[in-house]
Amino acid sequence: MDFITFENVDREYKIGGSVIKAVDDISFSLSSGTLNVVLGQSGAGKTTLLNLLGGMDSPTSGKIVVNGKEISGMSEYDLTEYRRSQIGFVFQFYNLVPNLTALENVQLAEEICPDTLGAEEMLKRVGLENRINNFPSQLSGGEQQRVSIARALAKNPQIVLCDEPTGALDSETGRKVLRLIRDVSKDLGKTVIIVTHNAPISEMADTVLHMRDGKIAKVQFNEHPKDVEEIAW
Amino acid sequence: MVKGALFIKSLRDIKKSKSQFISIFVMATLAVFIMTGLDSIWYTVEKHSNNMYQATNLSDMWVTVANPSEQQMWGIGKIEGVELVEKRFTANADTDLPGRPTLQVYALDGPGTLDQPSLQKGKFGKSGGAVLDSKFAEAHNLKIGDYISIKLNGIWVRLQIDGTALISEHVFAVKNSAAITPNHSDFGFIIIRTNALESIYGQKIYNQISVKTAPDVDLTSVVQEAAAFVGDNLIGITLQKDSGSVSSVNSRIQQFKTLSLVFPVLFLLVTALITQSTMVRMVENQRPQIGILKALGYSKGSILWHYTSYGVIVGVLGSILGLLTGPNILGRIMIYQLNLTMEAYSIKINYLNFLFVLIIILICTGGVSFFACRQLLNDSPSVLLRDKMPKSGKRVFLEKIPSVWQKMKFSSKLIARNMIKNKGRLIMSTIGVMGCTGLIISAFTVRSTLSEIGDYTYGTTFTFEQKIILDTAKTNSKYLKNLDLDGITQQIEESAIQVIFPDGVQKMEPISITTKESPLIHLQSIDGTPVYLPENGVLLTRKLCRERGINKGDVIGIKLTGKGYVYVPVAEIAYVASGQGIYMTDTYWESLGETFKPTSLMVKWNSQPDMKFLESDIVADLATRESMQEGLSSSLGVVNFAVMFLIVIGASLAFVVLYNTGVLNFVERTRDLATFRVLGFHHEEIRYLVLVENYFSLFLGMLSGIPVGRFMSWIIASSIDERLDLLGNISLRDVLISGAMTIFFSFIVNRIIADKMKEIDIFEALKSVE
Repeated sequence: MDFITFENVDREYKIGGSVIKAVDDISFSLSSGTLNVVLGQSGAGKTTLLNLLGGMDSPTSGKIVVNGKEISGMSEYDLTEYRRSQIGFVFQFYNLVPNLTALENVQLAEEICPDTLGAEEMLKRVGLENRINNFPSQLSGGEQQRVSIARALAKNPQIVLCDEPTGALDSETGRKVLRLIRDVSKDLGKTVIIVTHNAPISEMADTVLHMRDGKIAKVQFNEHPKDVEEIAW
Repeated sequence: MVKGALFIKSLRDIKKSKSQFISIFVMATLAVFIMTGLDSIWYTVEKHSNNMYQATNLSDMWVTVANPSEQQMWGIGKIEGVELVEKRFTANADTDLPGRPTLQVYALDGPGTLDQPSLQKGKFGKSGGAVLDSKFAEAHNLKIGDYISIKLNGIWVRLQIDGTALISEHVFAVKNSAAITPNHSDFGFIIIRTNALESIYGQKIYNQISVKTAPDVDLTSVVQEAAAFVGDNLIGITLQKDSGSVSSVNSRIQQFKTLSLVFPVLFLLVTALITQSTMVRMVENQRPQIGILKALGYSKGSILWHYTSYGVIVGVLGSILGLLTGPNILGRIMIYQLNLTMEAYSIKINYLNFLFVLIIILICTGGVSFFACRQLLNDSPSVLLRDKMPKSGKRVFLEKIPSVWQKMKFSSKLIARNMIKNKGRLIMSTIGVMGCTGLIISAFTVRSTLSEIGDYTYGTTFTFEQKIILDTAKTNSKYLKNLDLDGITQQIEESAIQVIFPDGVQKMEPISITTKESPLIHLQSIDGTPVYLPENGVLLTRKLCRERGINKGDVIGIKLTGKGYVYVPVAEIAYVASGQGIYMTDTYWESLGETFKPTSLMVKWNSQPDMKFLESDIVADLATRESMQEGLSSSLGVVNFAVMFLIVIGASLAFVVLYNTGVLNFVERTRDLATFRVLGFHHEEIRYLVLVENYFSLFLGMLSGIPVGRFMSWIIASSIDERLDLLGNISLRDVLISGAMTIFFSFIVNRIIADKMKEIDIFEALKSVE
C-alpha cells in the first residue's frame, strides 16, 4: 500500500486580483522508507508541495493521504498534531533558535513528542557530540544543518521533509549532509523527501518527481540510486 | 536634495515600526498633556486670583478688634512697611430667604479703597445701598432692584440690591468648618456702607482694621508690632495668606504644582524606555543601511542626526499635541471642578514650564535615539555592510545552579534567556505596569479616604443627631443645662482665637470649648485609642501640631478677651479628620478668667425631637448629622472625576507598555515562532512563550506599584484640603481592586497580541535570511 498519496491536488493563491496555481492537479504516490527528490526550477511549486505534505498548508482541492489518514481538510489543530507526531523538517537556513544551544534545540522538538529518540543520542548520530552545548552562532553552517537534522529525526517522525538542505552550504559540506540524511533515515526506516533545484542530487533518490509550472512533468524511478560520493555538482 | 531623501527614509521607517512610534508619541503626548494640563490649572488660578486681589486692593492683613480707636489706626499706620490703614465692619447675618442661608456682611466706608468689590452688574453707591454676591444672587434668582432682609444684632434690615459683585475674600468661601466646598445658595456675602449700620447699632461701628503693606515687608514683625500696639483689646490678626479664601486658593495652587511635577515623571520615564528599545532595535536592523550611507559618503553627523530625528520628530509632535490638548481639555475640565469664583476662567498656559518639559521630552526621545546609534557609527562601512552579526545566545545566571536549571522545562529556559536578553524591555513594561497599578491604587485610596472621612467625622468623632446653632444673645450655659430635654445634650462654643505658636507665628485658629464630660464628641488618637480633653491645658489636632512643629508638652499663647496672652500647655493631641484647631474644656476656659458662652447645642434625642424647643427663639439654625455628612461628601464629585482621570492614564500606561513588549517580542522572533509552528507547537503553547514575559512584568510591576501607589496617595491626600487631615493609607481592598483592574488591562492587551500572532505567515518567515 502506498504510504503517501496525492490525488488531483490543487493549491491556488490569490495575489492581488489574480489567481495563481502553485500546485496544479497533482497526483502521485510514494512508498514507505524511500528517499525521494522533488526537482524543479524555482517557482515550479516544489515548496508548496512540501508544505502541503508537511501539513503547513491545505490544498484548495484534492486529496492527500498519509499513512492511511487523509490530511487534506484537517483542522488547524489536527494539522499541528500531525506535524508534531509525523513530520520532521530540515530547512535551507536551518532555523535553529538562536537562544538555545544545539542540545536544547533538539530537546525543544522532543519536548512536545511522545515517543522520541533522545536528543543526545541523535546529536551523536550526526557527529556533534562535542558541540552539544554550543549556541548556533558558535557553529558552522554545516554543523547547524546537522543540528537541524538531529532535531528533525529526534521527534521520531514517519516522514522527513528537507527544503533545499544543501542550498546554503558548499558542495563538500552539502555532500556530507546529504549522506547523513540518507544514512540516518535508512537506518531508522524513515521516508525522506528532499526538495531541490539541484539536478545531480536526484541521482541518489529512489523516486524523482520532476516539477514544472505546478505540475508533475515526469516521475522517474531509479533502479540503482547512486551513492552520494558519486554525485558531482 | 540630499536631506529630502533621508527625511523621506525617516518617515517610511517610522511608518514601518508604527506601533512603537505611536507608543512613543502617545507617551510623550500624555506626559505633556498631564504636565501642561495640571500646570495650566494652578497657573490660571494663580494669575486670575492675583489679578483679582490687585484689582480689588485686597488687604495684606486684618486686625480684628472691637471698636478700633483712631489712636490704634494711627499706630498701626506708623509701623514700618505699612502703607495704608482702613477700618471696616464684618459679621455673619441670617437672611429671610428659603433655606435660611447665611450672608457675610462687609460694611465699608464710602471713601475706602481697600477690599473693594469687583462689580459685575449695577453700582455701589458712596453712601448707601447694597452689593450682593453675584453667585448668591444667581442661586436665589435675585435681581438688581430686589430687596433682601438680613438680621444683624437681632434686628431685621431690608436692603435694596444695587449691584452684584465678586470679592477676593470669596473666591473660595465656605460657611463653616463642616463645609468642604462652597455652596452659593447657602453662603454668600453682601457689602453695605457703614452708615447703614446706624439704624441697627445706633452709630457707625467697626470691628476690623484692614492693613495694606509694602511688598516684601516682613509680615511677622508687622503682626507682632500691631499686636503689641493694639494690646489687650486685640481679638486676632489674620494675614492675607491665612484668611479662608486666600489660603484655600493657595493650597489648591500648591496641590496642582506638586501633582504637575509628580505625575509626568512616570510617563517621561516610559517615553525614554520605549524610545530606547525601539531605536536600539531599529539601528541594529539597519546596520547595513548605515554602512551604505557611510559608503555613499554621508558624514557621521548627518547619519547621527538622521537617527536622532526619529525621536525628535515624534517627541515634538507629541509635545505639540499635548500642549494643545492638556490645558484645553484637562485644564478646562479640572478648573471648573475646583469651584472657584473668579472674574474669568480663560486658561493661561505656563509656557516656561512647557519649554522645560519639551526639553525633557527631547532628551527622552532624541537624546535616547542619539545614544542608541552612536556606537555603530564608529565601525567602518565594510564592517557594517558585512552580514549581520549573528545574534548570540547568552547564558543566564540560573544556569550556574545546575540543580535548578536542569529541572526547568525548555520553554522556561527559553523564556529566561529571552528575558535576560531584553532586560530593557522587561524594565520598561515593569515600570509601566507599576505606574498603572500605582495610579489606580492612589485613585481608589483618595476616593475611599475622602468617603471614610465622612464616616469617621460623623460616625466616630461626632455622634449627635442634631446640632442646634444658638442665638447667643438669648441663652447661656446654665439655661441650657436646665432645659431638661429628653435626650443627651452637649454644649460647645466654637469661634476663633489669636494664638502665638512656639515657632513665633501669631495667627487666628479655630477653637472649640466644650464640657469635660463629652457624650457626643469622641476624640481619638491616630491609632484609635480614646483621647479625653485635659483638665489642665488644651488639646490640639494632629495636623495643626505638624504644621507648627508642636509636640505634647509644648506651650502656646492664647489671647484672652480684653486681656493679654496666657500661656497654656498642649496636654493632648488628637486625630481629627475634618476641622483642625484647638479644643479645651469649659472649666479650663473659665479658670483662665473667661466665660463659657455655648454657640451650639448638640443633641441626641431619646425619642422624638422636642419641637417646642426647636421652635423657640434661642434656636438660630439647625443642622442634622446626615446633612453635615452630605455636605462633606458633596466634594466627592471632583474626586470621582480625578479617579476616572487617574484610572484612564494608568490604563493607557499599561496598555502602551504591555502592547509594545508583547508585539516586539513576537515581531523580533517571528522566525523562531514560525519554527515552533513547524515543529508542531500549538498556538496556545506559542502564545504562552511570548506572553509569559508580559505576565512576569505584570507581576513585578503590580508588586512595585503598591509602594508607588502608597506614595502617590500620600501626596494627593496631604494636599487636598488644608482643613482635612487625610492619611492616605492604602487598604487591602483598594490594592486588590487595582490589581484586578491591572490584570484585566493586561488581559485585553494579551488578547490583542494573541490575535496578531495568529497572522504570522510561517512560510514567509522561514524563507528568507533575516
